[in-house]
Amino acid sequence: MDSRGRTALVAILWGGLVGLCAAYIHATLRVSGDLRLFMPTPRTRAERLILEEVSEGPASRLLMVALSDAESGRGAGSSRDGAVERLAESSQRLASALRSDPAFALVANGADPLATIPASLLPYRYLLSPTLDRERLDAGYLHRQLIERERDLSSPAAGLLEPWLPSDPTLETLKVLESWQPPREPQLIDGVWFDERGSEALMVVETAAGAFDPLAQRIVLEKLRAHFAAVAAPSVRLEVTGPGAFSVLMQSRSEADARLAGILDTAGMVALLLLAYRSLRYVVLGALPLATAGIAALAAVTALFGTVHGITLAFGFTLIGVAIDYPIFILSHRLPGVSAVETARSVWTTLAIAVVGLCVAYVAFALSGVVGLAQLACFNVAGLAAAGLSTRYLLPQLLPAEPRDHGESRLPARLADLSGRIPPLRWLAPALALASVAALAWLPGPLWENDLGRLTPVPAPLLQRYATLQQELGQPDVRYLMTVDGATAEQVLAREERLAGALGRLVARQAVSGFEDAARYLPSASTQERRRAALPGETELRAALLEASRDTAFRAGLFAPFLADIARARDLPPLTPQRVAGTPLELSIGSLLIEREGSWTGLVTLTGVRDPAAVSRLAASSDGAVRLIDLEQASNGLVARQRARILRSIAAAALLLALVVYAALRSVRRAARVLGPMALTTLLTLAALHAAGVALNLFHLVALVLAAGLGLDYGLFFERSAHDPAGRRRTLHALTVCAAAACTVFAVLASSTLPVLRSIGVTVVLGVIGNFGLALLLVRPERSLACSDATPSPP
Amino acid sequence: MRRPGLAAMRGALRALTLALTLTVACAHAAPSGEGLELDTLLRGLARPVPSSTGFVEARFSALLTRPLVVSGTLEYLGPDALVRTVEQPYRERSEIRGDTVTVERQGEPAQSFTLQRVPEIRSLLASFAALLSGNVAALEQQFELDLHGDARRWTVGLTPRDASVHQHIRSITVSGRGSEPRCLTTFEANDDLTILLLTRAASLSLPAEPDRAWFDAQCRGPSP
Repeated sequence: MDSRGRTALVAILWGGLVGLCAAYIHATLRVSGDLRLFMPTPRTRAERLILEEVSEGPASRLLMVALSDAESGRGAGSSRDGAVERLAESSQRLASALRSDPAFALVANGADPLATIPASLLPYRYLLSPTLDRERLDAGYLHRQLIERERDLSSPAAGLLEPWLPSDPTLETLKVLESWQPPREPQLIDGVWFDERGSEALMVVETAAGAFDPLAQRIVLEKLRAHFAAVAAPSVRLEVTGPGAFSVLMQSRSEADARLAGILDTAGMVALLLLAYRSLRYVVLGALPLATAGIAALAAVTALFGTVHGITLAFGFTLIGVAIDYPIFILSHRLPGVSAVETARSVWTTLAIAVVGLCVAYVAFALSGVVGLAQLACFNVAGLAAAGLSTRYLLPQLLPAEPRDHGESRLPARLADLSGRIPPLRWLAPALALASVAALAWLPGPLWENDLGRLTPVPAPLLQRYATLQQELGQPDVRYLMTVDGATAEQVLAREERLAGALGRLVARQAVSGFEDAARYLPSASTQERRRAALPGETELRAALLEASRDTAFRAGLFAPFLADIARARDLPPLTPQRVAGTPLELSIGSLLIEREGSWTGLVTLTGVRDPAAVSRLAASSDGAVRLIDLEQASNGLVARQRARILRSIAAAALLLALVVYAALRSVRRAARVLGPMALTTLLTLAALHAAGVALNLFHLVALVLAAGLGLDYGLFFERSAHDPAGRRRTLHALTVCAAAACTVFAVLASSTLPVLRSIGVTVVLGVIGNFGLALLLVRPERSLACSDATPSPP
Repeated sequence: MRRPGLAAMRGALRALTLALTLTVACAHAAPSGEGLELDTLLRGLARPVPSSTGFVEARFSALLTRPLVVSGTLEYLGPDALVRTVEQPYRERSEIRGDTVTVERQGEPAQSFTLQRVPEIRSLLASFAALLSGNVAALEQQFELDLHGDARRWTVGLTPRDASVHQHIRSITVSGRGSEPRCLTTFEANDDLTILLLTRAASLSLPAEPDRAWFDAQCRGPSP
């Protein structure tokens, strides 16, 4: 086969393979915005609660809606009242529009559904109210109640109570409603919830779709906005916050960031390669291994995971940009009259060490236990391997004859000249290392970031706003939480009833200011049965009522509806979690009583915990079914454990890397020369970040490993050409282009709006500068070194 | 009763507040001169704070075989503060202060509920504040006013203009003699009725079983 035909065949085969992969990806890949993919794997019960229930349960499907008026605050008095009226009216209209849309499971805006007992639950009032625990419905009790009702009718509450008296002379309905009252509720203005300042109307919406289905959430949010636009007054503004809104925001942000980064990176790369090689053909061919890497990486992740996080893609495509180095090594080392295949063969040993070394580092991350990081590792290993192999075996087949020696360009010649004139700075490495260690040891400020919230890329102001609204809407403090375990819902409810007494004593002692559990809304079946058994028989009740009302002003026969309701209650089966489905109680109970893998957990939320130790003692004195969970501690523990695991992975990766390099170079001295600048740069970068007051998170660590991988390339290639001045100039050309490319890519990331991308970008840019500079200074020809040790270099 | 906000309860609570406020206002109305003008009468209602009067109240309800009668003192403490103290046949103190209504009965813990869920009441309170400061125009915005009789024996009818208020309160009449308002009657939409006797009418001794006719007679007062 002639060389032209061979070139065509390679091009067709390569293109076909890439095309097939692309088709497979297109058919299979699902991009997800599930933030939990970037969270550590939970281990303890508390950690699971944080990561699953708190983010997956019905509470996570809640969106908080705030309506504000653009024209309020312009002048006092009447115009402000006008704004409040507009807001209240918009809130009411929006609520009724949302209630008629099946995408929204529940809508609460203060015209609270729990202000009345749902009609279907009304007959249950005698089973739900605690009255029958203490009283019997006998003549004495009923008489006292009727006298009270007479007085009520002569009091300011007359109008409130009169309609209820015939069916409910003991006011059980009100007692049940009282016990259902949330511990804290936002203030009501014009019948709807408002924030404390009275400037925003508040609403809680439960979506039918899951919080972490960004596509469904996006549709839900669009519907919400459309309803709002259709019914709200023109000056009213809408704000939506909540896990669902966050996942939509993060998805569109990471997509936008990835797109922008891609465009900027491409433009930067093209400009850089044109500048370096002055050939459009080289730019196109040089991009081929990168394209192959991207497609192969995506295909591998798709095959292994099916669902890829948007952030994996944003990261992955940027990190894979490093593969542009590989063709650059070949392009810069080419010489007139030497075929590309020969050049490729000559740099392959070094290139292969670099690829294998990086892959080893990423494999360590695949074992970190974070799904998102494992995806990232898989993405990069597959991508880098594909880039390396295609650079070695496919690219050279397509390259034309080289007319120039890039080692003779101006910049590498000058750099080589410069680095040759600088005296051997033997003190430099130890001095820098010492200074870094000193900075890390003595500069104040936290070294590690333990706040889980900072690892999720949702911007802090949005999370803060979320927390504020949560508080305004009377959600409990989430630091302390009690859990009650049981084999059945009934067992959990019964345990909660026993716990409620002890918690009530803690409330009385002001150790906590309040608590909320499922049993408050729904007593256990056994309690309900006990109350039902305490209901008097038909004749007995009739006689008691007659005697009780003898000397009152109430009309004879007035209480017939009461007798009928009691008769119904006598035959009612106890209310269970299943039977409240579809009523407003379902929301209250659903987030407090959770079934998982056949067992049940009840959450007891606490407010105003002043004496956690007392609550902890109470939990400890239970039969082990009750636990106090400090979510802050648990989440910090989760992050710390995660970090320890990653640090171990990094240590393992470093060791493996050193072994790979030693095995390849078969000389401790040479391996040290390659690895030295890289290790020193890592230390310097850590010190620089710490000195700048940055608390390190696991994404910084990822970035450090990446920078170390780049440093490995630089060290290997400088070391390879240490004793060949012409070769060293070509290597300088290659590495200058590589370092400039890496800086371009990661400077784009460093300017991202996502804190995670930013921390990676900044860290890698620092690392590239350090690695390049130190490798240039430290991996130089040593005059004292025997020439026998020199690596063979291309002619 | 700490949980208000049931739609059905709103009307009556509104009526109550209205009655309480009007009562105190009327207790001090002192129209003077022979030719009576509505404007003059209403301007005469403007009162300084604090002021108070005795009262006898009878509530007639379809639930009851006889009226419930209580007596005591009403105090007006300012635009958003009213106190109603029952002294007979039992002791009870109710206070409306801002958005909160508190009812305290002898030997029982105080119970309170909020007007937040009945915002209409708040606007009514505001309009009655206007009344007590002599702002007749603001009152006429809320009610259709209708004056009968002469200065010796007069009746003012107040019909709510707001449909949502009218849904619960059909009308209120205030009757008086000369410089003395004697009685305030609230007709509710469900045919319930509250009659409040004030000032001199409230100081009369009650018969053993007062009925509607007796109360109506006290409203009219003795023939001149």
